[in-house]
Amino acid sequence: MKLGLLIDLDTCVGCHGCATACKQWNTSGTIGPLSDSNPYGKDPDGAWLNRIRTYEVGDAPDSKTVHFPMSCLHCENADCVTVCPTGASYKREEDGIVLVDQDKCMGCNLCAWACPYGARELDHDQGVMKKCTLCVDRIYDQNLPEEERQPACVLTCPTSSRLFGDFDDPESEVSIKSRQRGGRDLMPELGYEPTNKYLPPREKATVEMFALDSTEDGFSLKSWVNKMIAR
Amino acid sequence: MHPALSILVFTVTSGFGYGLMTLLILSQLLGGSPFANVNAYLIAFFVAFVLMSIGLLSSTFHLANPKNAWRAFNRFRTSWLSREGVLALLYYPIALSYVAVLWINEWQTTVAAYVLGAVCVVLGFVLTHCTAMIYASLKTIPQWHTRRVPIGFCLFFIYSGVLAYALAVVSEGGSPLSAVWIAACVLALTGLVFKLKYFTFVGEPSKTTINTATTFTEATVRLFDTGHSAENFLQKEFAYVVGPKTQALARKAVLALAFIVPLVLSALQFSRESSSLSMAIAAVLCCYVGLLLERWLFFIEAKHVVRRFYGEQY
Amino acid sequence: MVHVLLKRRLIDEEFLVRYTNAPQLIIHAPGSAEHGLILRTDEGEPAVWDQVSENYASACDPNVSPALVGEYQTPDGRTVKTAMALILEKYSDLQYAPENAAEQCGIAAEDIERFALEMAQIAFKESIRIDTEWTDWAGRKHDHFIGRPVSMHAMRGISAHSNGFQTCRALHLLQALLGTIDCPGGHLAKPPYPKHIPPHIKPARTCAPNTPLESPPLGFPTSPEDLLIDENGDPLRIDKAYSWDAPIASHGMMHMVIRNAVNADPYSIDTLMLFMANMAWNSSMNTAETMNMLREKDDNGEYKIPFIVSCDAFHSETVNFSDLVIPDTTYLERYDTISMLDRPISEPHAACDAIRHPILNTDRDVRSWQEVLIELGGRLELPLFIDENGGRRYKDYKDFIINYEKTPGIGFLAGWRGENGDQHLVGAPNPKQWEAYIENESFFELKLADNQRFLRHSNQGYLEFAKNAGWVGSTDQIVIELYSETLQSFRLAGEGLYDGPTPKTEEQAERLVKYFDPLPFFYKPLEQQQQDENQYPFYAINQRPMHMYHSWDSQNAWLRQITSHNYMYMNRKQAIDLGIDDLGWAWVESHNGRIRVQVKYMEAVEKNTVWTWNAIGKQAGAWGLTKDANESHQGFLMNHLISESLPKQKSITNSDPITGQAAWYDLKVNIRAALAEEQGSWPEFDEVKTLPRQQSTPDSVSYATHSNVNLNRSNRDILTRGGLK
Ligand SMILES: Nc1nc2c(c(=O)[nH]1)N[C@H]1C(S)=C(S)[C@@H](COP(=O)(O)OP(=O)(O)OC[C@H]3O[C@@H](n4cnc5c(=O)[nH]c(N)nc54)[C@H](O)[C@@H]3O)O[C@H]1N2
Ligand SMILES: Nc1nc2c(c(=O)[nH]1)N[C@H]1C(S)=C(S)[C@@H](COP(=O)(O)OP(=O)(O)OC[C@H]3O[C@@H](n4cnc5c(=O)[nH]c(N)nc54)[C@H](O)[C@@H]3O)O[C@H]1N2
Ligand code: SF4
Ligand code: SF4
Ligand code: SF4
Ligand code: SF4
Ligand code: SF4
Ligand SMILES: [Mo]
Repeated sequence: MKLGLLIDLDTCVGCHGCATACKQWNTSGTIGPLSDSNPYGKDPDGAWLNRIRTYEVGDAPDSKTVHFPMSCLHCENADCVTVCPTGASYKREEDGIVLVDQDKCMGCNLCAWACPYGARELDHDQGVMKKCTLCVDRIYDQNLPEEERQPACVLTCPTSSRLFGDFDDPESEVSIKSRQRGGRDLMPELGYEPTNKYLPPREKATVEMFALDSTEDGFSLKSWVNKMIAR
Repeated sequence: MHPALSILVFTVTSGFGYGLMTLLILSQLLGGSPFANVNAYLIAFFVAFVLMSIGLLSSTFHLANPKNAWRAFNRFRTSWLSREGVLALLYYPIALSYVAVLWINEWQTTVAAYVLGAVCVVLGFVLTHCTAMIYASLKTIPQWHTRRVPIGFCLFFIYSGVLAYALAVVSEGGSPLSAVWIAACVLALTGLVFKLKYFTFVGEPSKTTINTATTFTEATVRLFDTGHSAENFLQKEFAYVVGPKTQALARKAVLALAFIVPLVLSALQFSRESSSLSMAIAAVLCCYVGLLLERWLFFIEAKHVVRRFYGEQY
Repeated sequence: MVHVLLKRRLIDEEFLVRYTNAPQLIIHAPGSAEHGLILRTDEGEPAVWDQVSENYASACDPNVSPALVGEYQTPDGRTVKTAMALILEKYSDLQYAPENAAEQCGIAAEDIERFALEMAQIAFKESIRIDTEWTDWAGRKHDHFIGRPVSMHAMRGISAHSNGFQTCRALHLLQALLGTIDCPGGHLAKPPYPKHIPPHIKPARTCAPNTPLESPPLGFPTSPEDLLIDENGDPLRIDKAYSWDAPIASHGMMHMVIRNAVNADPYSIDTLMLFMANMAWNSSMNTAETMNMLREKDDNGEYKIPFIVSCDAFHSETVNFSDLVIPDTTYLERYDTISMLDRPISEPHAACDAIRHPILNTDRDVRSWQEVLIELGGRLELPLFIDENGGRRYKDYKDFIINYEKTPGIGFLAGWRGENGDQHLVGAPNPKQWEAYIENESFFELKLADNQRFLRHSNQGYLEFAKNAGWVGSTDQIVIELYSETLQSFRLAGEGLYDGPTPKTEEQAERLVKYFDPLPFFYKPLEQQQQDENQYPFYAINQRPMHMYHSWDSQNAWLRQITSHNYMYMNRKQAIDLGIDDLGWAWVESHNGRIRVQVKYMEAVEKNTVWTWNAIGKQAGAWGLTKDANESHQGFLMNHLISESLPKQKSITNSDPITGQAAWYDLKVNIRAALAEEQGSWPEFDEVKTLPRQQSTPDSVSYATHSNVNLNRSNRDILTRGGLK
């Protein structure tokens, strides 16, 4: 299995709902707590597993504002794992999820250095590395109803811009959608082969204009012929 | 990259330590002790050990969770940091055995000394290479992901070793062989040229751009919103920047302190009848500060690709 | 776009005839008291011209085929025209042509025309058909619904302007012409809507001690008689809602209360009570001045508003002005209903309501406001809250919610009614109702049957269902009012032709004549009419950040990390031309004052418009934030620039002249770069004093509901996995 997320840059509205739901779920989950420094003061900052940035693509008037959510992409060639000296970081063989064992991490930051996607953040208070768990404690939880065995971010997204599934299965929803819409890799040149794919914004639909077959002047009361329409 | 002081101190100081150790061994194995008395030899060894250890200890200061530092030996299979740790640990007993064998054999270079010494010298290079590979293996930092980095680390480690060794000899009232001064000059000159070339190299654009980061390769891409108001971990760690003026000044200082001054001083030493202690001290101090600055710049000029997501174009 | 569609006759004539008042006949008698009113039958029903009988007929008679467009003479010699004829006449005027509209809105004429024709294409050539049997209001059976999938969304962007009401009506006119109201793919109502227009609720006129209000405080006036004015024509309400200044102020005019009270116009008050409203800050126009008003004293040194009570869950800027603070619980700690009687959580095709029940135990002796109200109701012996013996009728909020019935069988919650909890929408109170909601994750959902899902204004199946549920009073067709007789009656009053109350001042009369057009039209926002365009060339508007709710997410440790300070977003090229740097500080000035803000370049903003997130700026020390919090020193509030009165008519509210809706987005400003040393947002206010026993804020929090359950990697795996590379 190769579990991951398919993220739709066409429909994401940048609401930060996924980032907040992620923090909420995971701060009490396998990787929590996710600490915050200066929470009520100047320059508040904290550990998040998912962040949304916004870009402007192209110059006005041909410009598009694109919201860009990013969490761990659960790369095939996860150098963040290779470099980890303690073995705290690992990629699970069974499903490809990349995790950090909170009990073994020494907080050296090296894995964060090795991650091109900014998916790892050191928790200053806890002294250990935090990253997206793909909500491993939801997706396998038999106590949850089946439709809720999905990452918190996926469940919360109001525009369904995040899909979760197995990219190894060519018939999974994520594989099919990714094929259909040309799912893309971020920084492919680095060779990390991320599992998570990004769907590009769609071309604007071209709508035909109503073909006008007469130049009749609708404004003329005189030429108006009322149809027989029963109330 | 954010330069953690402990890492700067670690790499430079332990570089001096391993370098000194390597030179002490080499000179012993190639030409016999340069020291008039045994104590001087022991003191030099001791200093080398202290420098290595200070370096190693300081490397743990930047750990956020040092209680798990011992686990760093676990992943030597893939992690250069782990390998460095394992080799550093290995270095001590071997280097100590070397000293012990010499001592037992009353400073005669026995076969055992040859073997242990050779292992130590090789280990010094391998170890330095491992340290360098921690940086050079990172595809995420184009300025580091280059063979230049291990070459540079090895060059600077042996260069600082030569200067430290010369100082050790001079401080005992001796005069090193001219070969030592020549080596110092050659290494300083090589370092200078190497660094100049590296400065050009780091300015080269990387193939990872804001466009490849965001997948929009056919239009200009601008960061509009980071998604958080204050600087976060990623920005503090990866987007640490200094002004261009400071950077230019630092470059000049590195060249002058780490290479030009020691080069001139070593050339002068070479031309003198007997070596000057103050000049040897000055050379080592300048080089130490210069290399610390060099390491600082090494971080400052390293542009982690995460910065593309924060708006840097390439 | 209306002009374009009408010119090409790209309109849904069937929709207009069947579902709107477009075919109804309007009396054309300029200068008379009946001009612009609807011709009525002897029974008082609106009249249409029946093409079959070639005679007048009742619009309520399903057996007529009304003429959509036409002009007729009544036997008594009056000229009448169909509303549609008036629509054609009005919008054929060249002022509505794309070329002229382009000048107003900055969108090219070709684009306006293209939008209109694209919508027509989708509506008429790419329509959808849903095969379902349904019965219309007159009992006729149909076997399908036609969907015209053109949908529009608008709210504050349009309503927060002083021409907002007419603009909203214009949008609905466009929808009706395209036949996209409550059809598949179109604008859909959510239960309990749609309702008859106007709803038969009139705002309460009087109030007296120990007497319940005769009707809700807010309602829908239909003619000048319904205004809440005294015999001199002066407002009865402190906010002047339902006065000549804002006759159809169906939301009330909360934003004017403080100003009116301080000016004793229409009168002064002794107590101001605020529930869940930050009136000293983000929900006031002219914030700095509002704060001064709250401090203002009369000649005797008494506060002009002597006593202020606020009920709030947080230490807001307003709380700080209060004499009495009633601390409320947050929604995590309280009982609440999101009821079908108010604004429930329904979906277009499902009636839904919900409850909130506390999931946290309060850590001190505090009760939710709802509990307190029920308790007060009992103690004050309000009629509804005492039983036959004068004892307390409702033990607590839950008891009230379960057992109160608006009419027999209908209460706050629609789900699990009846003694056994097996009835929905209507049924006797169920003592276990609350538990049933909790059991079902706090909400109730009843899906509408397939035949009840569309054209509900004219769908018998739906209307009967809705009447049974108490959502509508009758099963009569809900006719969409393209032509508003209500507005016309006010306009007649303005012209002095109305047989009833008429305005007392020229100003009032002029506003009625100008703005109460029975057909929608565009006019320049009031504030903009009264100031020099060149002096304030930029439109300045707000937008709500998706991740925050007005002022009160700044005390949230996570959300404020996302936005702890806001920028003024400005078109990149425009800012460069003005010499303003990206992230540079700039002065923004309106006729009401100036603020200093940080500018951020943006591609996607129109070149003469600037905008920012709403309600990010905070007064230093409020909300439990430290005094150096970014919200107070880099964040800012646009409200300082927005005036609550018109530049040249200081006594008149800066609101929609019809509805009194605050014109938050009419603001125009000029902008210039600040000097290098001018950094940080301005104005800054005195720091809010630290409260007695206020705890200092932590430097770090690690919030979790329980300690983490880590997943461990085995040591064996650590030592053996992965090749030596
Ligand atoms: N996250 C969040 N949700 C909320 C709230 C909140 O505070 N936060 N508040 C709730 C409340 S009380 C309300 S009233 C609603 C309001 O909900 P919305 O009406 O969606 O409110 P805004 O986002 O303020 O404004 C909508 C848009 O109007 C645009 N606009 C301004 N002037 C014009 C104009 O002349 N023409 C057009 N076409 N557009 C214009 C603005 O640029 C903005 O993008 O939201 C509710 N929901
Ligand atoms: N410039 C500009 N100004 C605007 C707008 C705009 O678009 N632009 N929008 C306007 C609109 S549409 C609106 S609705 C207003 C909103 O303005 P308000 O309703 O005044 O603002 P809020 O920030 O929602 O919060 C009001 C108060 O509710 C308190 N509160 C939060 N939870 C609870 C609770 O559980 N119980 C109690 N008792 N109190 C609680 C908060 O602490 C706060 O003090 O702002 C208006 N102001
Ligand atoms: S996104 Fe980063 S942290 Fe996640 S697997 Fe890839 S390299 Fe590792
Ligand atoms: S911070 Fe932790 S997980 Fe990351 S490389 Fe260091 S030890 Fe491994
Ligand atoms: S999968 Fe889970 S951990 Fe990963 S971003 Fe989504 S919510 Fe966060
Ligand atoms: S919740 Fe969905 S729409 Fe909102 S930011 Fe996340 S991905 Fe985008
Ligand atoms: S955005 Fe939040 S408050 Fe608004 S409806 Fe959704 S959940 Fe409720
Ligand atoms: Mo609102």
